[in-house]
Amino acid sequence: MKLSRTSFALMATLLAGTALPTFANATVTVLGWPGGSEETALRATVETYNKQASDADKVELLFFNREGFYDKLQADMAAGSSAFDVNLVATYSLGRYAPYMEPVDLGAGAAKVFGESVLKTMQFDGKQYGVPTDLSLHFMYYRKDLIDALIGDDAAKKTYGEIAQKYLGKPLQPKDPDSWTWDDWAATALYFTKQVNPDSPVRYGTVLQMKNLLFNMMVFQSLPRSYGGDWMDKDGNVMVDSDAYRTGLELYKKLYDAGSSPKDSLSYEYAETNAAFASGQAATALQWNAAAADLTSTEKSPAVAEMTGIVAPPTGPDGRADHIHGLGLGLNKNAKNKEGAVKFLKWLATEDAALLYARSGGSPALSPDVVAKVAKERPDLVKLGEFASKYGYVMIGATSASALPVYELQAKEFTGYWSGQQSLEDALAHTKAGMQDLLQK
Amino acid sequence: MNHLPDAGSRLGVRRVWRIDMALVTRAEGRMYLTPLVGFLLLFLGFPAIVNLIYSVSTVTFETLRSPVLSGFANYVAVLNDREFWSSAWFSLRFGILTASAECLIGLFLAIFLAPLLSKRPVLMAPLMLPLMVAPAMVGLMYRLVLHEFAGPVPYYLFEWFGDSPAFLDINNAFRTLVVVETLQWTPFAFLLFYMAYSAIPLDVREASSLDGASPFEIVRWIDLPLMKPTLVIAFFIRFIDGFRVFDNVYALTGSGAGGSTTSLSIYIYQAFFKEGAIGKAVAASVVLFLASFIVLHGLNRLAGRRKR
Repeated sequence: MKLSRTSFALMATLLAGTALPTFANATVTVLGWPGGSEETALRATVETYNKQASDADKVELLFFNREGFYDKLQADMAAGSSAFDVNLVATYSLGRYAPYMEPVDLGAGAAKVFGESVLKTMQFDGKQYGVPTDLSLHFMYYRKDLIDALIGDDAAKKTYGEIAQKYLGKPLQPKDPDSWTWDDWAATALYFTKQVNPDSPVRYGTVLQMKNLLFNMMVFQSLPRSYGGDWMDKDGNVMVDSDAYRTGLELYKKLYDAGSSPKDSLSYEYAETNAAFASGQAATALQWNAAAADLTSTEKSPAVAEMTGIVAPPTGPDGRADHIHGLGLGLNKNAKNKEGAVKFLKWLATEDAALLYARSGGSPALSPDVVAKVAKERPDLVKLGEFASKYGYVMIGATSASALPVYELQAKEFTGYWSGQQSLEDALAHTKAGMQDLLQK
Repeated sequence: MNHLPDAGSRLGVRRVWRIDMALVTRAEGRMYLTPLVGFLLLFLGFPAIVNLIYSVSTVTFETLRSPVLSGFANYVAVLNDREFWSSAWFSLRFGILTASAECLIGLFLAIFLAPLLSKRPVLMAPLMLPLMVAPAMVGLMYRLVLHEFAGPVPYYLFEWFGDSPAFLDINNAFRTLVVVETLQWTPFAFLLFYMAYSAIPLDVREASSLDGASPFEIVRWIDLPLMKPTLVIAFFIRFIDGFRVFDNVYALTGSGAGGSTTSLSIYIYQAFFKEGAIGKAVAASVVLFLASFIVLHGLNRLAGRRKR
């Protein structure tokens, strides 16, 4: 009887414990971008902030999956959620979330740390809605050892030329990656494909991110962009069925069908691409700049770290193009602790915080004076600033409230073409009709 | 055929009920029921009414509190949408295949392992472990396990055979998803079948054995008929779970290349969040609810008729 009473009491305590709300120590809740170098950097930065902050201003981090992140955020914010005080925003979704957020004054120092043009990636209707934490664009990662060996070997050059002629219809010769056209890149990828060239030292020539996911369309679209492609012309007409998009889509399919990219590429996104390149079995990869810290780290990518080269995406008839957008943190209109949240955001915009964030693996776009202080540890950040200013672009319509649904639509239709479920004509016709509906309504 | 004990016990129940009714007045009974009715109205009735209104309205995230009635256009859009029907077909195939595989393997394991488990019941714990893992986690786990450069399965296939299939490409994604679902949920069917199998009195089996029945005949003519209600229930529970699948499919392949692994739940999710077509998404869920209700009601009636 005694035992059952004790058990009963324990059970009741357990049930009461689960039913009661938990008491958190932190009073500023920050919803960050999960799963990448951004999360690692934010965790490290917040740890330092919490050491100096008063109990009332301490920050607690909240992360959920990248999959459907913006959908969940939209539902939460539309419902007036106060579950977080500070939330993630991106350049391409700022217009969608600004109605649920409050502008924040970061002070004059912020411009010195980031520069006016970078601060603008977090502005909507002329108001500052967040601290720009990361600038995202793409790097062409390649294996220096493989390319050097190819360029220095006459027999290999001959095979390269034959492969280029057979698959691309052009007699190409190996080149330095910094002067690649998209055809040069494709020929290199084909040359390093075991299925095409059994003598290739690696299994795949490249890693294509082809999962039905909106972010993969951002990686892809620099290819049609360098051929003059855009979402709309200056008069607002959707022009996704252009030759530029055709060329880009066909080149991706040609490489995938030839076995130049892993067989499961149709389920690949950021993490899978990193794993594939880091394994040492791929010669090139067009990947987000955020991956640079991992792919050049001897600890994280021992097989390739010292042989990984980084250049801007290849060039096309219209020059080089590199998709660009900013991620940042802003203030939720329904925040419970606005005062603490603003304190944290202002601190995050200081030089010390930005440098700490950079040293912890984040990718802030910093002004030349500031970036010079981390250039030794993070040479990729210097490239980031350089590529963004030289090749950065935003498609017409890609900052509208419909930008995310447009990317979703492209992801579904283009992956349908790449997987052979529909023709190129159908994919482009469906995309055009959908984009007209989304962008012109 | 002696009906007397049944009739007697039924009479007994009625008598107790009458005594209870004398102790509890009708008004008091209603009062006791109020919290339950209130709970149901609040947590099931209110969302249902809101959903019905949204399904005949033009509504967006910005106008959630002020939808504009627009007739049955959302229902027409759903029924004319090719993707709705392809996702319904995906869900139906997925539900039937996974439920069948789980029940067949679960039944085999329950009968095959019964002698061992009756002596070592502790072995039940590891067999139940897959049920403890959240389906989304299972999806993520297989994303890693099947990855060509990070996963153990392709690694050993390359080691042994020099090649590995593309588990998640357009040709194999459906099969992979079925296997993943079956591996996780077979223990559920197994648990139900093992309990039903253990509940069959041993003397029935002994009697049939004495009459000369072979082990196969005992399973065919004694065990399976006695386990039939559990078999049916397990199949339908697993079918319903498979039909409404979301988590592990979404984590593993998303909606698939060109939408090839879009289940009905994913279709509704995408219409709601990705397209912002709230009315269309809710209309699809109402259509799904009506179809499920008709099927379940039909099955219920069928089961009732058989009992009689």
